[in-house]
Amino acid sequence: MRVEYINPFVESAFNVLKEVLQGDIKRGELYLKSTSMPVMGVAALVGLAGDVEGRVLFDMEKASALKIASAMNGEQLTAMDELVKATITELANMITAQAVTKLHELGFRFDLTPPAIFTGDNMEVSDQDVEALIVPMETPQGKIEINVAIRERG
Amino acid sequence: MNEAVNAVAEQPKVEEKKDRGEKIDFKMVTFVLAGKEYGIDIMNVKEIAHAGRFTYVPNAAPFVRGVYNLRGEIISIIDLRTMFHLPAERKDEGTLENLLILQIHEQVFGIIVDQIDKVVGINRSSIQPPHPIFGDINVKYIRGIVENLSKLYIILDVEKIFMPKAKEEKEDAYHHAVPARAAANPSVPTHVAPPDAADDDLELGFIREALAALRNFATSAINETWFRRRFDEWKEMRSGRDLQLKEGGEADLYLEGFYSPYTGELWGQEYIEAFEAILPAIEGASINVWNPGCGKGFETWSVACALKRKYPNGRIKIWANDSDLLNISMAPNMVFSFDAPPEYYAEFMVQGRNGWSFRQDIRDAIFFEFHDVLNTNSVPPSDLIVCRDMLSFLNPLDQKRVVLDFAEKLKKNGVAVVGANERLDLEGWVPAGTGIISAYAKA
Repeated sequence: MRVEYINPFVESAFNVLKEVLQGDIKRGELYLKSTSMPVMGVAALVGLAGDVEGRVLFDMEKASALKIASAMNGEQLTAMDELVKATITELANMITAQAVTKLHELGFRFDLTPPAIFTGDNMEVSDQDVEALIVPMETPQGKIEINVAIRERG
Repeated sequence: MNEAVNAVAEQPKVEEKKDRGEKIDFKMVTFVLAGKEYGIDIMNVKEIAHAGRFTYVPNAAPFVRGVYNLRGEIISIIDLRTMFHLPAERKDEGTLENLLILQIHEQVFGIIVDQIDKVVGINRSSIQPPHPIFGDINVKYIRGIVENLSKLYIILDVEKIFMPKAKEEKEDAYHHAVPARAAANPSVPTHVAPPDAADDDLELGFIREALAALRNFATSAINETWFRRRFDEWKEMRSGRDLQLKEGGEADLYLEGFYSPYTGELWGQEYIEAFEAILPAIEGASINVWNPGCGKGFETWSVACALKRKYPNGRIKIWANDSDLLNISMAPNMVFSFDAPPEYYAEFMVQGRNGWSFRQDIRDAIFFEFHDVLNTNSVPPSDLIVCRDMLSFLNPLDQKRVVLDFAEKLKKNGVAVVGANERLDLEGWVPAGTGIISAYAKA
């Protein structure tokens, strides 16, 4: 993945999470991965198109998703209902959109696809042809792993 | 790289801990070598003995103290301290040594240790994997480390130490010659090779392992020529002192001179001109280049300028990648603080507020990517691959994989440039370089 893309994603993830969760956010060490990986329980996916092709996946445990949605809505949510799903989708949208805006300023043209959310147990993502950058974020509500895979159009 | 894996593995561990420690399923004989506690699986220990006056065997490796008659059976005696380059006190003639008689498969032999302690029973799951910088004994020969009654024991893998053949056959396919094996195998006490050669082979083997453990430098067909040449220089440099590499600094010293010219700086005039000379004639307007392991990016910028000079009208695209995030992050916005750029680069550079940088059309030609060469990539078929001093830092199997990938990605008339001390004398490649540039084309 191009070096120029990395920082916008890391920065916007940090800024957005800090803003909506109002807590102490920590970023883990970035690393690369190209094998299939297990999904922790809730995954929001935003597609990218334009000069590049790719996707951004936000992966977290169900408990963390509930806590994050509770914090964002200001009420205690206990079940994986429509509101929780919509909130996590929105979070994914906010982070990706802010990153793409930053990239626009740098001269890269990206478009976003509407986010989709997956929930379930024992899921696994595998896209064989692409290497993903993993940005682990620690929030007071739990861990979110942002999995960014973007490649140039040949 | 393994963070995700660790995170997943963490949970079950907690439960495991509960019943750990109670069940003993592994017993080891413990002993002392140079003040440290070690253990050997009791299943490999036949008996414990005190003996001396071993019969000297000429021309054997230095750690073979001799042979001994154990109730009618002739066994060879290995001094473990000498074998691991630990200090060994020389006892008076006739004093008895502490011996552990080992049996590994059919072979019986004795090892000399400083002091034999006792039998310790532990649970297998409490054995922790060894750490690469473990100290005096090569990590390859350590099975793990375990704590028992607040003492730490290093468990030696005797099968690997004394029977390397059985376990290493796989690796052997690619790894040319690991001659240490012949000398390290105590089942041949009447070794006939000249003692010098045997010693060298052994030292070479140890250095190979030290380089791999300390600096991830893997010796293979790609760098064997350099490695052997360097060993001769090394012997001269150390003039009789211990040849082994014990810590990172020494490994760096050994690797000095391996790196290609102008690593970490813009290429000098004579080097870049030699590079320009080996560039292939390219038909068609677009030129694709792959530059894995570009580090801080100096090499990529140099290559971009050379290409711009050689193919002024070509559409040049360079995919430069490195798996070191810190290094590669700096590469796209490189600014130089010199008063005037070197002559060769002058026409490609512009002066800005903070110093000199490369012209926009050169910048546009390069994609710097954070990418691990062992993962899948989206690099298109390339006319040129520049990969200096990277292959040597992959393990031999990965080297093979990446070279195969090169063969697949390189166009028919393309050229692959490797490090100055690296050779692609492998099937399917023919030399295409001159003098200081080590380059290969597809056969």
